Amino acid sequence: MDPATARPAVVIDNGTGYTKMGFAGNVEPCFIVPTVVAVNESFVNQPRPRSTKGSNWLAQHSAGVMADLDFCIGEEALARSKSSSTYNLSYPIKHGQVENWDAMERFWQQCIFNYLRCDPEDHYFLLTESPLTAPESREYTGEIMFETFNVPGLYIAVQPVLALAAGYTTSKCEMTGVVVDVGDGATHVVPVADGYVIGSSIKSIPISGKDVTRFIQQLMRERGEHVPPEDSFEVARKVKEMYCYTCSDIVKEFNKHDKEPAKYIKQWRGTKPKTGAPYSCDVGYERFLGPEVFFNPEIYSSDFSTPLPDVIDKCIQSAPIDTRRALYKNVVLSGGSTMFKDFHRRLQRDLKKIVDARVLASDARLGGQQKAQPVEVNVVSHPIQRYAVWFGGSVLASTPEFFTACHTKAEYEECGASICRTNPVFKGMY
Amino acid sequence: MILLQCPCRYLLQVLKTQVQNLEKGVELDCQWVEFDDVRYHIQATVKNPNILLLSLSLPTPPPETVFSGGLPQGAIEAIKAAYGVVLQILDPPRDGFNLTLKLNLSKMPPDEEHKQALLVKIASIREVVLGAPLRAVLKQLVSRGVKSNLNKLLSLVHRPNESFFVVPQADKVTVIFPMHFKDSIDTVLATSFLQEFVEARRTAGLGNAPPCLWSSSPPQELKGASEIALSANAGFVSFVIFPRHVEGRKMDRTVWSLSTFHAYVSYHVKCSEGFMHTRMRRRVESLIEALDRAKPDSERADRPAKNKLSIKDGRGSFNSR
Repeated sequence: MDPATARPAVVIDNGTGYTKMGFAGNVEPCFIVPTVVAVNESFVNQPRPRSTKGSNWLAQHSAGVMADLDFCIGEEALARSKSSSTYNLSYPIKHGQVENWDAMERFWQQCIFNYLRCDPEDHYFLLTESPLTAPESREYTGEIMFETFNVPGLYIAVQPVLALAAGYTTSKCEMTGVVVDVGDGATHVVPVADGYVIGSSIKSIPISGKDVTRFIQQLMRERGEHVPPEDSFEVARKVKEMYCYTCSDIVKEFNKHDKEPAKYIKQWRGTKPKTGAPYSCDVGYERFLGPEVFFNPEIYSSDFSTPLPDVIDKCIQSAPIDTRRALYKNVVLSGGSTMFKDFHRRLQRDLKKIVDARVLASDARLGGQQKAQPVEVNVVSHPIQRYAVWFGGSVLASTPEFFTACHTKAEYEECGASICRTNPVFKGMY
Repeated sequence: MILLQCPCRYLLQVLKTQVQNLEKGVELDCQWVEFDDVRYHIQATVKNPNILLLSLSLPTPPPETVFSGGLPQGAIEAIKAAYGVVLQILDPPRDGFNLTLKLNLSKMPPDEEHKQALLVKIASIREVVLGAPLRAVLKQLVSRGVKSNLNKLLSLVHRPNESFFVVPQADKVTVIFPMHFKDSIDTVLATSFLQEFVEARRTAGLGNAPPCLWSSSPPQELKGASEIALSANAGFVSFVIFPRHVEGRKMDRTVWSLSTFHAYVSYHVKCSEGFMHTRMRRRVESLIEALDRAKPDSERADRPAKNKLSIKDGRGSFNSR
């Protein structure tokens, strides 16, 4: 028996904004760090020396190698890039897809050796991907994991399925539901029936957590708050994470704010990065207008104007008819951007409204001879929403069946990276 | 840069948050594994947030290594000396672990600086426990006191079922690492890395570093060792430690670097593989660019986006074999 199966598997959920990593069997990930790499690129773009004469070439070569080794990730990277200009920030994941594989490889390397401090040869790995990832990039992930890190086994899971699996333990064994995954870079609405992803009904929205941040930044700038421009995005992100909430009605909320500004308007304090001088600014309407972007997208963008509840409804309506009731019954939230206070209440109310209107209309059409059974709409929220995907992975990877579902190193050496093309989750693990 | 830090990062983070949230009291129960199969388990309850239970499991020792009571020799004394009243050793340890410690956070020193230093020290527990026998040998070297075990081969565990060897002599200590690697590519890379490592020692700036040697056959000192220990596939590295390398504050770093030497080499091997891949990707990208440039204009205009090669297409055809 492979001794690696006796050790807990490593679970890494790479998101656009944050990466959650830890060991299977735990309730919380060990680390949640921003998915960012600071690289020293001062030597990459330099022209190659013409002559290969003597030590000069050698010195330059080794300086280039040293610069290659000089990188860091996460909070450290953000701090390093602020204090020195030799580092460039690189965000390896954009809109839920890996864009820069070099940076991604380095990011994983640091995650494994510097943060988790484990030997990748000793552990099975569970990585995650968005439901729309191309088979090629899955292959590439496999290639890096098996070739560079020599992992004994790898499983690439689909994020929404894991988010459902996270609810699996807290309440009932339900593997049917719609996962509303609002991350920092991508928003997907994914219907899952008995553990199978209904691929044709997946809906994506071009609005994600980053857009909320941008909208808040824009609102603050327009009101003329004195935030240093180079810092304004970071401040907006912090404001979003600390003060934003979902309101039930914008007009009422505006009134509340105007009546009692002392109660609702918060203060943000910071120091200017260049001079170190302290400043403060007000946080007002953006507290509820930020999350409102999901319910009334027209306040932010003119290209896209379908509210999130509508998208969920359309998604369920396009799913097979016999799954729809079960899907309405279990709408699961996941991702950091669903953490706004009362987000699930608002979503549930709006979704219920749409469904009830449809039921009423059909009743009226039938002329009251037959009554439709009321449709149960349930938006589920749990406290671990922020890393629900990771937690699902942790639950999944601590079952003994997990090790049999993995791609192993032996299989990889036999068949090559093509073993990662198909995902066992789509075949149905449950 | 590519050095493994001594304190365990996660343990330090857990301790720091626990100390900060003493009043709140957080339920905590998690376990994790570090390189060389060192396992940790930490537990805290809401009822009694001052008490933390920290358990540690060590790699299984090979038969030639001496363990007393499931721990390396001298570990218990080392723990007592390093932590004093804050830690208490529980006997018997938690099931499946070699050592369980009861941490009493209310006995932490009041001033911030000492507190932080102590937390870092607790997070370095693995060095204290696993490095204890090595530390004892090196201490003897510094004190130049009565030597009891001169020229006797000592074997110390550093990986599951693998050990390294220490030969104490009158004015120096020789440390020998048989290097094992599982993967054949790793073996080759590690071998050339170690040869280069020995070369690098000879450069001018490193005159004071411990002399080191690499050989593919077991050195003289290992005569009495077991067959398994002598079957290293990446050769043998030996370091000669003089008293000047372990004086004063250098001791901690020397002990840590020596007891994690294998992990350091394997980390380097993984990194080199990663960087080779980066280079290969860059190279492929530039070759494809050259190919694209070489196409006649007419062809390029005909099928503009469709036929443009990129690294992704190249990769696809590569893997389909």
